[in-house]
Amino acid sequence: MRRWWLRPMVRLLAAVSLPILVPAIITALIWALPGDPASIICPPETCGGTAVLAARWNLDAGPVAFFWGWIQGAVHGDFGNSWRLEQGVPVAELLRTAVPHSLLLIALALVPVALGSVAAAQGWLTRAVDPILQVVGLVPALVLALVAAAAVELTYGAASFSGHAAMMRLLAGALVLGLADGALSGAITGTRAVFLTEDKQRYVGVAVLRGERRLPNTFPNVAPALAGQLRARVLHLLSGAVVVEAVLRIDGIGDLLWSGTLLQDFGVVLAAATGFALLSSGLLVVQAVVEIAVAWYVRWAPDLSLAPADLP
Amino acid sequence: MSCTRSQAREQTRKGGRSRWVAGGFALLCAVALGAAALSAPEHLMVPDMARAYAGPFLMPPFGADQRGRALLEYAEQGASVVAMPSVVAGLTVMAFAVLGGLMSCLATGWTNTLIQGFGEIVGALPRMLVVLVVALVIPKDARGLLPLALTWAFLAAPGAMDEAAAVSERLGGTRFVEALRAHGYGRPRIFGWHVVALNLRPVVVRQGAEVMMQVVFLEIALSYLAVADDQPSFTHADSLMSWADLLNLGYPSLVLDVPTTHALVLGLALIGSVALVAFSLGVAARAR
Repeated sequence: MRRWWLRPMVRLLAAVSLPILVPAIITALIWALPGDPASIICPPETCGGTAVLAARWNLDAGPVAFFWGWIQGAVHGDFGNSWRLEQGVPVAELLRTAVPHSLLLIALALVPVALGSVAAAQGWLTRAVDPILQVVGLVPALVLALVAAAAVELTYGAASFSGHAAMMRLLAGALVLGLADGALSGAITGTRAVFLTEDKQRYVGVAVLRGERRLPNTFPNVAPALAGQLRARVLHLLSGAVVVEAVLRIDGIGDLLWSGTLLQDFGVVLAAATGFALLSSGLLVVQAVVEIAVAWYVRWAPDLSLAPADLP
Repeated sequence: MSCTRSQAREQTRKGGRSRWVAGGFALLCAVALGAAALSAPEHLMVPDMARAYAGPFLMPPFGADQRGRALLEYAEQGASVVAMPSVVAGLTVMAFAVLGGLMSCLATGWTNTLIQGFGEIVGALPRMLVVLVVALVIPKDARGLLPLALTWAFLAAPGAMDEAAAVSERLGGTRFVEALRAHGYGRPRIFGWHVVALNLRPVVVRQGAEVMMQVVFLEIALSYLAVADDQPSFTHADSLMSWADLLNLGYPSLVLDVPTTHALVLGLALIGSVALVAFSLGVAARAR
């Protein structure tokens, strides 16, 4: 307890460094590839003006100059241009469309996960349902996403990407993300395991004997573990979002990352990966804040090592 | 009391039987997949349009694709794509898990902090992001599943180490080792038999099996997304077919009037068999 600040500080440090480290590593990798980056976009044997292009996109002054230029632009909302996916289009425009879709998808996918966690915490779900959950959890996101895509395409048509059809794609994607790859089963079994371990503590038994409710007593103590689990679940959903968005053709940041990777569009990958890094940083900050809040709450509690006469 | 004892004995006997059945099934499936991988042809057979879309009865055992080529060859080539990298990834994670468990038995405090710190750093980003960045920088002529599988294994390692360390701690950690030393046991027997084989085995094998399954699913997902976009896959050479090609071939049968349901069923059956193998391995390695 003496070093309660260590873990949150490490998380905050990681949260600050991730959005810088991720583009730095990708930039280093771009220059590590055989051939210079300008010739990747515009091979000299097939297109003229490679040198002009390199100068225009700040690729001629080496990785450090490119990185600092890119970071300075990103701070002001300019993420450069797409190299191949939609050549010349500002990546910020692509992100402006993609990020809200992905955030909505993840938020909706969190609904079944959160409901499962609450049900597990309250003890509403018995262990009898575990085998069913485990079987559902074994199904990969790709398979469920294909079923969902087929259902949407049969109902609205293959080229339906607006209005009601777009909303159905989002809802179906969220359901797939929430169920596949053990998202729901992991949330239920993980939350239940945390509370079962805590329930074995003596103070819980004493509190129950005093007529108090179990959850208000245990929750402050399990909150950091639950925050850690929540972060892991959201990261898991973000990982799965790449597949689900690409299969269901949801115009999100995962789809953008996938398309950029497939076409070796470093401009798009750089921005999309930084977007993912920012989301991951946000999760680290949330976990750190929960840990700090719990530590402060615990510090406010009376010190039980004092003799009863010393207590106020 | 005797009734309780006999019930417990009966439960142990049933548990032992289910472990043997699960282990046998996993071994059988693994041998079948391994044999399929080894017998995979280098190139698909010459197209025979007369057999296009042939079902399993017309062209046993699995039917044919839109150009009359046997789906059996798709299954074999797909198995050859995933077999070695998934096993290597599984073994890597198992090695990390054993290391995590043993470290927890040898010293406490700083080792757990080290494992947790490693996990925090490695697990801070979505796994798919890291895998795609690795895929991005693999040269086109060196594409393969192995680097991606190893990346996945490396990302999964902290979780496996953490779980194995928790098992060792529940066991008593350093005190357990000291107690066995007091009995006069040597290091190989303590760590190799009592710690790893008897106590860490369920966690280590389950983690390894899960990662093997995840690597197969990762390959199918990456290949499917690439094939659906008419692009080469990151995970194998263009001359090879993946199990994702079966899904891609079969998917239109869900939304259009294309007779490729048999390809979809075969693809899903192969995915299901991999999930069953992983699940069975976990059951077979369970503690008594």
